[in-house]
Amino acid sequence: MSPPVLTTARRAEPLLAGAGARPGLAPDEVALPESAFAVQGPWRVVVLNDPVNSMGYVVLVFRKVFGFAEPRARRHMLEVHEQGRSVVWSGLREQAELYAFALQQWHLTAVLETDEAH
Amino acid sequence: MKRIEVKLSLPVVAPLLDLMKASSDVLEAQIAAPITLDDIDADFREDWRAELLGGQQEELHALMGLFNSDFFINGVVAFDEDNAEIIVRACSALRLRLRRHDLDILEDEQLESGGVDIERLPAALQKPFMCYVFLGTIQELIIQHLDTAILRGPAGESGPAEDDDEGAGDFDLDKD
Repeated sequence: MSPPVLTTARRAEPLLAGAGARPGLAPDEVALPESAFAVQGPWRVVVLNDPVNSMGYVVLVFRKVFGFAEPRARRHMLEVHEQGRSVVWSGLREQAELYAFALQQWHLTAVLETDEAH
Repeated sequence: MKRIEVKLSLPVVAPLLDLMKASSDVLEAQIAAPITLDDIDADFREDWRAELLGGQQEELHALMGLFNSDFFINGVVAFDEDNAEIIVRACSALRLRLRRHDLDILEDEQLESGGVDIERLPAALQKPFMCYVFLGTIQELIIQHLDTAILRGPAGESGPAEDDDEGAGDFDLDKD
């Protein structure tokens, strides 16, 4: 992994302000040249279940962090609740880290996965 | 600006504040939810941890700041667009701490289903559990009434302009 250039907080700001804002792209879809994936691989942000944070709280966090509409946020929340985990985003490693950081700011447990891990 | 005021029962809430403060003090130096990214660069990980901790400290100071001398006079705490997000997050951090440290003998299923009879809990668990429920109730109130403010972000931050003047709300959680 390349060393960070900016601190996590400074890097997270544009991410949160712009999440889901690009026309034509859902928040968990990123338009990237194939070469980018070839170098960095597609990474998945996976949220794990915890017995503490309420369903309403998790829905709110998904809407806030990823810009999901409520039905989509609720679908991911239910997946976390019923299956123990939900893949909420996939794309480049660096941006996946930013999302994981944002989720941890909200005290959710998130892990990053790539195909190589399985 | 939308604002809600919640009237709390001082005899019920005041005894919980010592435990909330003690848990908050522990979280001055400890991330409430574990950092799970084992394979990130060590320096980056430390920066990451420090920033998460700084944010968490700010949240907890805001939450504990609600219970100031005015609170002990009128029993009222107020939530608005400026503090809604930070308070909701602080409640989450404290609930995680209470669950892992004070309520660790309870099963996940018990907590998730809400199927805990406080009267049947051992005495040592009753206060932590009341605290846990109290913080969850605060979260629910804020999410129910100020979620659009949280989604929009603090005043001045860019975002869709939604209903901005919904008036004040008053709630009474006084159980006496």
